[in-house]
Amino acid sequence: MLTFIARRLVSGIVLLVVVTSATFFLAHLAVGDPTAGLLGNNATPAQQDALRAKIGYDDPLLTQFGSWFSHAVTGDFGTSWRNFQPVADQIALRVPVTLSVVVFATLLAAVLGLVVGVATGLRPGGLLDRGLKLASVVLFALPGFWVSLVLVTWFAIQLKWFPAIGYVSPDRSVGDWLRSITLPSVSLALGAIVMVAEQLRNGFLQVANQDFVRTLRARGLSHRRVTTHVLRNASPAALTVLALMFVGLLGGAIVVEIVFNLPGIGSLTQSASQIGDIPILLGLTAVTVVFVVIVNFLLDLVLGWVNPKVRER
Amino acid sequence: MTRTLTAALVAVAAAAALAGCTSSSGDTGGGGAGADELKAGVFLDVTSWDPANADIGFDGPYLSAVYDPLVALDKDAKPVPALATSWEWSADRLTLTMKLRDGVTFDDGQKFDATAAVANLQHLKSGVRSGQAYLNVASVGAKGADSVEIKLSKRDDALLYFMGLGRSWMVSPAAIQANSLAGGPAGSGPYTYDKAASQPQSQYVFTKKQNHWDSGTYPFPTVRLFPITDQTASFNAMLSGQLNVQFANAANKPKAQENGWNIAQKASSWVGVQFADRTGSQVKALGDQRVRQAIALAFDAAGILKAVGNDAGTVTDQLWPVHSQIYDKALSTKYQNDKAKAKQLLADAGYPNGFTVKMPMSPIFAAWQPAANQTFGELGIKVEWQDMAMPDYQKNAPTYPMFLAVIAMDGNDMATLTDQVTSAQWYNPNPSVDAFPEVKALVQQAERAEPGPAQSDLLKQLNTKLVDLAWWDVWYQADNIYFSVKGITVTPVTGMMFPTLRFIQRG
Repeated sequence: MLTFIARRLVSGIVLLVVVTSATFFLAHLAVGDPTAGLLGNNATPAQQDALRAKIGYDDPLLTQFGSWFSHAVTGDFGTSWRNFQPVADQIALRVPVTLSVVVFATLLAAVLGLVVGVATGLRPGGLLDRGLKLASVVLFALPGFWVSLVLVTWFAIQLKWFPAIGYVSPDRSVGDWLRSITLPSVSLALGAIVMVAEQLRNGFLQVANQDFVRTLRARGLSHRRVTTHVLRNASPAALTVLALMFVGLLGGAIVVEIVFNLPGIGSLTQSASQIGDIPILLGLTAVTVVFVVIVNFLLDLVLGWVNPKVRER
Repeated sequence: MTRTLTAALVAVAAAAALAGCTSSSGDTGGGGAGADELKAGVFLDVTSWDPANADIGFDGPYLSAVYDPLVALDKDAKPVPALATSWEWSADRLTLTMKLRDGVTFDDGQKFDATAAVANLQHLKSGVRSGQAYLNVASVGAKGADSVEIKLSKRDDALLYFMGLGRSWMVSPAAIQANSLAGGPAGSGPYTYDKAASQPQSQYVFTKKQNHWDSGTYPFPTVRLFPITDQTASFNAMLSGQLNVQFANAANKPKAQENGWNIAQKASSWVGVQFADRTGSQVKALGDQRVRQAIALAFDAAGILKAVGNDAGTVTDQLWPVHSQIYDKALSTKYQNDKAKAKQLLADAGYPNGFTVKMPMSPIFAAWQPAANQTFGELGIKVEWQDMAMPDYQKNAPTYPMFLAVIAMDGNDMATLTDQVTSAQWYNPNPSVDAFPEVKALVQQAERAEPGPAQSDLLKQLNTKLVDLAWWDVWYQADNIYFSVKGITVTPVTGMMFPTLRFIQRG
């Protein structure tokens, strides 16, 4: 097990180094001289030169990379080129917002996907199963921003159960925090719920027809225990989908952040891209990769627990 | 971000919001005449708490909460006293002496006096963004403990206006020295920034100081400012009662009326084609007045205003604001859409089959590109669009002979002359005044004239001349629109993309 964990950690670190390095060079190639975007159009050439010197932009690219990387490995991502505040501080303000929404959406997808997936897997062709198929088509066809707007119209404007915009930190009020992330999370989770349920339902049906299940039943195990065995064998595909969705939602939350005016990492990525604030972009990339590595690591652990054969790979 | 880019962003957001959908129903919630809180949805986040690095555009409400200015503006953009209680120009208008308010203290305990004012003015003069307002300031010095003297290298009749617009916020000199303003404000303004209750980039909370010298101007005990760029999200927040004032979109005006909200609007920016090459040095055709006039005649400005600008604005060919005394309503029909006449003018100029021109294009201007393509195509003018990002657009547009523009306007007539005609800006890279003797003569006369009717008369003559020369191809002046619930009024000011807090009142 320790070898398994060590292997995953090393591959995660390699992924982190490769992706952030690639982002560094690609961002510099794409942005060009950032001073116009950062200082505005009234800046004099002397002020632009001063900013370039301050941020080290005149240094050779490899020197810049060396400096950035040597600091980054110690957790220091430098300061934003826009306001010279530490990148880590600015990202630390944003990450809880996006994480709150994405984790809550993933939890909703996991719990509701499990319930619906098992229920439809137990009764294939039933009313719920047909409903799931219809929901899959409809929810995948609906654009995320439209779903968000419908939720806002019903639950924020008409019923006033939830706020239409904004994020409340749990430090201030746990209840208000939950209210502020419910609609964004639900709008992100709707598609994920049916996807997880579909995977689970298909896996359930596949496993339920295997010989070992028949043997379990023949040995007189209760329906509940058999179902537990089937579920454990059917879950890897659904878990993988769930992990992929979490990673996808981290990057794809930007639409929801805009519609609900949430100060998350999606909107920070957008604003940093617009003005060419490369340190912020690099910090965001590093944080996102860390999350991807952690989620994949957890997924491997869970899959290893569910299926011991995975640990031997 | 500059006011110009901001103006373009606003225009694009307005166009994009046409595609948004939202409910028209909902009560006004959280607002109403008795509201203790002002909850305003501002289009953009504060760019910096350091006034030297801040934008005039949408920073006004944020900075006006925590800072006092030396000079403020009234609703007609006329400079009025604030921390400077009075001022006096020397006879040659090259020295401005300001008498300062006594008994003002910054939040960190520092006293506001002449030394503090001088430190601030020097800081603002050297600022990357604020420095533009002080280009003609040669030196600043204290004159006793309660007066400052500003010496100019060149007469500048727009200086007080720019100071009032958002270029004279006074901050604690200790904060300037410590370079600590990036972390938070240090002012003497009517409100205290409640850092604990605020969520930077999402919500800023300010609580009123009861003993502020101008307390009566600020009626709300608490102010909450929400930076919301998405117009649909902002409107939804109004409908749900989370906001009681909103930087609004014209597309939502009928729904605002249904809800009984107040609607305020005023000209904020001009939209059209900027001719950077009026002398024809890059594209010979543009040096011919008839070609520029032909382009102006060919565009269906009313149609573009309706389709892209939500009909929020005024079709005109002038860029002194429609409410300015320089604006001449009679001139606004000079380039009414007439394609036959446009083609005739092009033929008379020797370009019956048009010509070829390169123009920059950025996503921010994409909403106007189809109209431009169609119109230029009808004239036989072949446009080679060069795609680029917005920062590159600002950097590169000046190198093109003409380009699409959304440019913020000023509420001061002399500032309009400076910003739009005589000074080199990215959106006016080649003022080319020297190449047009009649224009040059009128500019010089206006700059030398005594402020008042004589100066205004000269500016009117200049406006007529510039329209005749098709100096620009202005399609329309776009309005900024603000919704507020009953009991709160907003007074827009041209030059401010979002008015400072003194313009948001109960009533």
